[in-house]
Amino acid sequence: MKYQKARLDTRGKLRLTGKHFLLIALSIVMVFPLILTISTALKTPSDVKLNPFGLFSSFSWENITTAWTVGSFGNYFLNSFLLTVPSTLLVVVLSTMGGYAFARLPFPGRGIAFYVVVVGLLVPFFTYMIPLYFQLRGMGLLDSLLGVNLVLASTGLSFGTFFMRAFFSDLPAELDQAARVDGASEWQIFLRVMLPLVTSGIGALSVFTFLTNWNNFLVPLLYIPSGEYRPLTTGLYLFLGGRSIDIGPLAAGTLITILPVIVLFVAMQKQVTQGFLSGAVKG
Amino acid sequence: MTTAAPQTPVPPAPGPARGQGRPTQAGSSAVTRKAQARLGMLLVTPLMVLTAVFLVFPMANAAYYVFVDFNGIDPSPPWIGLSNFTELAQDPDVWAAFKNNVIWIVVGTTAPLVVGLAFALLVWTVHRGSRWYRLAFFFPYVLPQVAVGVVWGWIYEPSRGWLNRALEFVGLGSFTRGWLGDPDTALYAVLGTAVWTAAAFVFIIVLSALRNVDADLMDAARLDGTNSFQRLVYVIIPQIMPVFLMVTTITLLGGFSVFDIIFVMTGGGPAGATDVLGTYAYSSAFQLNRISYGTTLALIITVLAIPFAVMMNRLQRRLSLQGMGA
Repeated sequence: MKYQKARLDTRGKLRLTGKHFLLIALSIVMVFPLILTISTALKTPSDVKLNPFGLFSSFSWENITTAWTVGSFGNYFLNSFLLTVPSTLLVVVLSTMGGYAFARLPFPGRGIAFYVVVVGLLVPFFTYMIPLYFQLRGMGLLDSLLGVNLVLASTGLSFGTFFMRAFFSDLPAELDQAARVDGASEWQIFLRVMLPLVTSGIGALSVFTFLTNWNNFLVPLLYIPSGEYRPLTTGLYLFLGGRSIDIGPLAAGTLITILPVIVLFVAMQKQVTQGFLSGAVKG
Repeated sequence: MTTAAPQTPVPPAPGPARGQGRPTQAGSSAVTRKAQARLGMLLVTPLMVLTAVFLVFPMANAAYYVFVDFNGIDPSPPWIGLSNFTELAQDPDVWAAFKNNVIWIVVGTTAPLVVGLAFALLVWTVHRGSRWYRLAFFFPYVLPQVAVGVVWGWIYEPSRGWLNRALEFVGLGSFTRGWLGDPDTALYAVLGTAVWTAAAFVFIIVLSALRNVDADLMDAARLDGTNSFQRLVYVIIPQIMPVFLMVTTITLLGGFSVFDIIFVMTGGGPAGATDVLGTYAYSSAFQLNRISYGTTLALIITVLAIPFAVMMNRLQRRLSLQGMGA
């Protein structure tokens, strides 16, 4: 009996080792494009010409500095923040407000208002992106930080409202009743009682929205035609247009584009995953 | 969309219940209700204004654009009725793009489902290092598509790319080619990249669903002498089916409106070999200035997707109801 159990254990162990071996091999395959990017970005320019995709055959920061200065990726980097941070703040603040109202405050017109949010959740950006271009042009918002921030925010608002509404709905009803008995105003109940209890939701929504807006390609492609506030995504695409020659700086530019994403992802994996899991609902 | 989405607004918790509990404070309850209504309207107003201006209004405009012939300049474009639709139905490029879309949807949905499920099952059964595996398998999905396109372009590069090198290394040198430049392979090459990212998405969702698989049921099945394949088919899959269908819906619907990755990697070329409805709509509107035609195409993409969304949603709801009943 004992012998048999021991034998089973070694078999199980062998199997587990095999699994880990397979998993490590697969994860290397999955991560390989990232390894390739880092390797090519950190080569010396002459090595890039000879052997652009050989892994880690030389080392230099030159491609990075070239991309940052000559390739304007420094500007793009700044622009990405200018387009991502305000739009993310806007989504998080307005969604938290809206989510709270839909979850806990009966108000006239709530049914219709909620219907509008549902429509926003169901209709893909594709459907209205072309008319929106001419609308923005008419409003003088094309090529402007304000316009693109507002568009980016509006594409994330419906989802954000849903997301935050779920968090507020989960809070017990006794909470606001008790606060009301204590003489708290509706504002105070929202800001002092409820808001502190949904910080995890706000965190996940912030990270998720930041990544989505940072990665957004179509919105800046369409609505920043002149390129004054061009972010990393469309900047990288533009740089790719002059393809073939400058693989080194292109790799460096790619690295600059994805580095904040990777850092955020590794540092806040839980929030990112939570955000994307519920983001799935959006489709 | 679909899925867990809203169904009905959650009933407001406070208000009436409170009034019942404390009949003496009925007067202040009315005050409370008024204050709540005021705050509620105040809180949703900015959200409503933004959504109305940047979503509802352009949507209404889209509905107008499809019946006129707008070239981007003319302030009062001529009304042409259904001409955009009839032209679209007779445009061979539309049908070619549609065919590519169908291939994209079929391959781009099934392959990530299989790969993502396999990854999730593998990671689910190990404990040590699962944080690293989760990170490695999920990270392709969080990257910007442009960056993904650039790097995969190098992997597919004809002379020095890793794919051709790997093929030569294993003795399949005769298969090497310029994957993105060859009209026969371009679409599948881009699809390969898309599968890489979509599998990551399927992986993370299925893995989270696997966490909820009933451990007692698994143990019982193990005691009954089932092998791991039987447990997968009869115990695991039925339990994760609703989530699996949700992922299927999302991936499938994403296949209708695919744009970024194709636009970056091939721009629809060579010679339209990778054009899908999305890239064709874009080039019609913004390169050929056929604004109305492009809008009509974009609208068609949405309309085509609706029946699938409804169907999958129904199926999924029925399944999760069954799950609850069982």
